[in-house]
Amino acid sequence: MLPGLEKFYEFLVLAALVGVLIRYTPVLPARWRVPVAVIAVLAVICYMPFTVGTFRTSQLTTITIWSIVAIGLNVLTGYNGQISLGHGAFVLIGAYTAAILTDSESQLGFFDGAQWPFWTAMIMSGLVAAVAGVAVGVPSLRLTGPYLAVATLSLMIALPSVLEKYDSVTGGAQGLHPRQPPVPGFLDGILERPEWFFFLAFVTAVIMAAIAWYVVRSRWGRAFVAIRDTEVAALAVGISVARYKVLAFTISAFFAGVAGSLVALASTGFVSPQTIGIVLSINYFTAIVIGGLGSIMGSIIGGFVVVLLPDLATDIGTALFGEQRGARLWPTIYGSILILVIIAMPYGVAGFLHRAAAVKPADIAGAISRTPRNALAYLADTRERLTWRWTERDGKRGDAP
Amino acid sequence: MNVLAVLPHLASYLLAPQPWDNLELFFDQSVAGIATGSIYGLVALGIVLIYRSTDVINFAQGELALFVTFCGWSMIEAGYPYLAMFALVILIAGGLGAFLERTVIRPVEGAPVLNVVIVTLGLFVIFNSLTAFIWAQGELPKSFPATPIGTELETFDFGILTLQQHRVAVIIISVIVAACLYLLFNRTKLGLAMRGTAQNRVAAQLMGINTGRMLMLGWALSAMVGAVGGMLVAPIIFLDLTTMLRVILFAFAAAVLGGLDSPPGAMIGGITIGITQNILSTFALGPVFFGPQLALPAALLVLVLVLLIRPTGLFGRHAVRRV
Repeated sequence: MLPGLEKFYEFLVLAALVGVLIRYTPVLPARWRVPVAVIAVLAVICYMPFTVGTFRTSQLTTITIWSIVAIGLNVLTGYNGQISLGHGAFVLIGAYTAAILTDSESQLGFFDGAQWPFWTAMIMSGLVAAVAGVAVGVPSLRLTGPYLAVATLSLMIALPSVLEKYDSVTGGAQGLHPRQPPVPGFLDGILERPEWFFFLAFVTAVIMAAIAWYVVRSRWGRAFVAIRDTEVAALAVGISVARYKVLAFTISAFFAGVAGSLVALASTGFVSPQTIGIVLSINYFTAIVIGGLGSIMGSIIGGFVVVLLPDLATDIGTALFGEQRGARLWPTIYGSILILVIIAMPYGVAGFLHRAAAVKPADIAGAISRTPRNALAYLADTRERLTWRWTERDGKRGDAP
Repeated sequence: MNVLAVLPHLASYLLAPQPWDNLELFFDQSVAGIATGSIYGLVALGIVLIYRSTDVINFAQGELALFVTFCGWSMIEAGYPYLAMFALVILIAGGLGAFLERTVIRPVEGAPVLNVVIVTLGLFVIFNSLTAFIWAQGELPKSFPATPIGTELETFDFGILTLQQHRVAVIIISVIVAACLYLLFNRTKLGLAMRGTAQNRVAAQLMGINTGRMLMLGWALSAMVGAVGGMLVAPIIFLDLTTMLRVILFAFAAAVLGGLDSPPGAMIGGITIGITQNILSTFALGPVFFGPQLALPAALLVLVLVLLIRPTGLFGRHAVRRV
């Protein structure tokens, strides 16, 4: 469709365009726009695995898993205002739970030795991570802001060494090889393995997003937001701050745990203490801030951005500095893009879209018509601005603030 | 796993060397802990200086120090004397800190506070990859010279104590840096202006303080202190791309332990963590009870326990907010 653009990115642009057009143009009645836009975007993404090849399909799976973690983290950070840099720990816990449950040899005789079906293992992973979330959330009640951030980060730093220490359960540094679910019978011949893994992650993500959507609009969600905005006022209107803060941690850890089970079952097929590193754990946080805090769509966009941006940065790097140097300089470009995006869009991509949608055509026309005049005025002003600086330095305009 | 499995652990814990069995080793390890702890403290001090004025944890602190320390390595290679290199690196760090505050931190000042965190994370990635790009062609890790006071391998003999010369140098320099900062903040008008800016920006502005310049100066100071930490730690654990990553995690812990808005707390927190780490890895509790893998989690557990008792660190002020 577009010259010089890979098919994968073409489809992503198409999905974005379709979504934005349906959402923001007055073709449909207002109440139908959001659901139809969501369904249209999902339809485009569903079609993608069949055309973009194995590598891009598995990348889509990764993005989907990231989005689940980001949605969960956004419930905690975006809606409830608690910062966690250690969500990788819950993902790791979920991945290990799924790996142990689906592999009869590593079940330690806790259960009857039978392999769990993958979907029960996935739910169980979420529940185990949720229990861990309660265990972390209760002590976290005393901590706020950066103190909470460092405490959760230290959980993430500590967990891999703990996993290596108890190697009889976790397989130590060698890790575990979970039994990945085979393509089910009724889909045999329709889907290849990578496609099946993608749709497994995709369907899970849609369900989880729907749950999150419901939660943040429920009584719970309103309580979360009230606590984030003013804790004392929330207390005064009868919200049990402690209970809801722990609840937010639990829900958020549940999401991370389910995503972790997908890491084990649908992504790498291998779980070790190094599967989720400190950097990855901090990147989940980057994803939600870039995507937009307090927005489910923002979390999903954040997942796309953080997974695809390194690729894109490498492409830009090779275009600018040549093959070899570009491959080595990509993190510099990646970091620069992150900084530029956050400066240009203070409320994330979702916040930017939200504000862009409120702009009327007349505003744009007005801005364009004013631009030449403003530019001329700015140029004409230059001399006075410079002199003002110098007089200020001489102390002659001391009354200026 | 059952309860009885703990018994051998317990027995070996009781049989393992105790601090009072070998006092000399205990003191040696404590002083070595103070030395590494002062480095953590210096880097933590940089974090605290920025947090006090801008309410932001600077994740790029360690990588900034790494970058300028590698600059110092290049200067040594080019034949600069150590002291000239030391002074130049500190100057470069200060300039870099001020430049970053002016160019990338100030545009996000009015934005939500987490945005600044993302900017510092971006800076972390940028400086790490730039360092790798410029200096990773040659062999890594590179060795970095110790201060003229003494090398890493030779020792000073004080009778009861034999200390590595570089550790002594580290302690001396840390004390000098801390004293300079103390004098700057408490005995000069500039320091007063900086403290005023950190405490209440609007009020400081109304008193005629150029708060923007004070914030810029804060970033410069922070980068300079971090650079000193980087140059002191490089002779001990060599200069590699991950050198500062190992230091910065403990520096975060030190800053949080001492209280993020207390500069003396950062030094005390750093030294506490340094000593704890050394004693835990030498004596009974460490190797036997926790095992080598669990030394790090044990140190972090101590941090979390302290936070549970004092949620804003040992010396941090509890912020009271009017609604």
